[in-house]
Amino acid sequence: MIKFNINEASPVPLYQQVKQAILLDIVSEKLNEGDQLPSIRALAKILKLNPNTVAKVYYTLEQEGFIEGKRGSGYRVKVLKSRIDKLKISIIEAELKDFLEKASCLGFKKKYINDLIGRLLNDK
Amino acid sequence: MINNEIIKVKNLNINFNKHRVIDNLSLSFNKGETVLITGRNGSGKTTFLKCLGGVLFPDSGLIQFENKVSKKKIGIISDKMSLLEDYTLEQGIAFHSEIFGIDKFNFSLINQLNLKYERKIKTLSAGERAIYHLSLIISQKPELLLIDEIIHMIDAYIRELFLDALIELINDVNTTIIMVNHTFSETGRIPERILIMEQGRFILDEKRENLNKKIKKIIINKEIEEDIPVLFKKESSIQKEFYIYPFKEEFNSKYKYDFQDINLTEIIKSFIGGCYAKKRV
Repeated sequence: MIKFNINEASPVPLYQQVKQAILLDIVSEKLNEGDQLPSIRALAKILKLNPNTVAKVYYTLEQEGFIEGKRGSGYRVKVLKSRIDKLKISIIEAELKDFLEKASCLGFKKKYINDLIGRLLNDK
Repeated sequence: MINNEIIKVKNLNINFNKHRVIDNLSLSFNKGETVLITGRNGSGKTTFLKCLGGVLFPDSGLIQFENKVSKKKIGIISDKMSLLEDYTLEQGIAFHSEIFGIDKFNFSLINQLNLKYERKIKTLSAGERAIYHLSLIISQKPELLLIDEIIHMIDAYIRELFLDALIELINDVNTTIIMVNHTFSETGRIPERILIMEQGRFILDEKRENLNKKIKKIIINKEIEEDIPVLFKKESSIQKEFYIYPFKEEFNSKYKYDFQDINLTEIIKSFIGGCYAKKRV
């Protein structure tokens, strides 16, 4: 079962939170090709969401090619290697941008950050 | 685009003793959407809902239903409504089924509460009553469900049953749900569109998912430029909080403020706070 951490006190729209949770499980291979997703009705009841919100998540994920819906048999995960790789890159880039912004706020020079990352990578 | 409207409201006005309660409202509701109407006490929310339900006639204006919607497919739940108090639950069900032409009654909610069918309706607690009433209405498979200030009165367990039943209605019947609540947190994740009422008008009508782009907060210790629209301002000895609405993308480049995202609870609080502040002026 996908781990959903839905927080209505967060300013992030609910459908975005649900979508991110599913995408994260696809990227980290907890959800694999052909895995069945819960029905819209079932997921709405579990998360106490409006079924229209869940339907929208499934619809966008289908448009983006991560899942596939078939009449009568619900939605299944569709793993496209190239799409997943792209997604992984965008996730790590976002994290890095966040990190670089913090580093520049703290006043670190580019050269220092570059060296620091190199040193940490070598330690690993 | 397909016309998806189920109700159209045009220039609606209601006066009580020369006091305008509903002030020239025009808006429409779509099939299958879930709407939360909130606002201060006395802002006109319940009056508007009663009008939609046909319980109250407007002084002027129109409420048009899509022509396929029959009266039997409209349900209203309110704590102020009297049911057939001296009837037993069973008699109430038989009577309601007859009037609304229900052939298959949905007993699941009543059974989940273990309510005895020979009890009289007047002996039910507020929460039991809400569930009983909802059972009657669910069995009608309503196209429109109007709920007036009920969710905050019932305990957490019954509230969950209630919300589950609404989720099933939305999914299975594509019911349009319009609910009035001054505490919105109990309605939690269900509303898709938020309306805030003040003095008989809607001062906010926005899809929930768009709200965080339209309203932001700045925390700072000085005044801000006059062309930033301030909805509500909160001041303390150490800081000032400005709630900005409508927010525009260009503010980000024009001003060097940290425009923060805020959640729905805070958004509604700031709108209502703004109404009180205006009244003082």
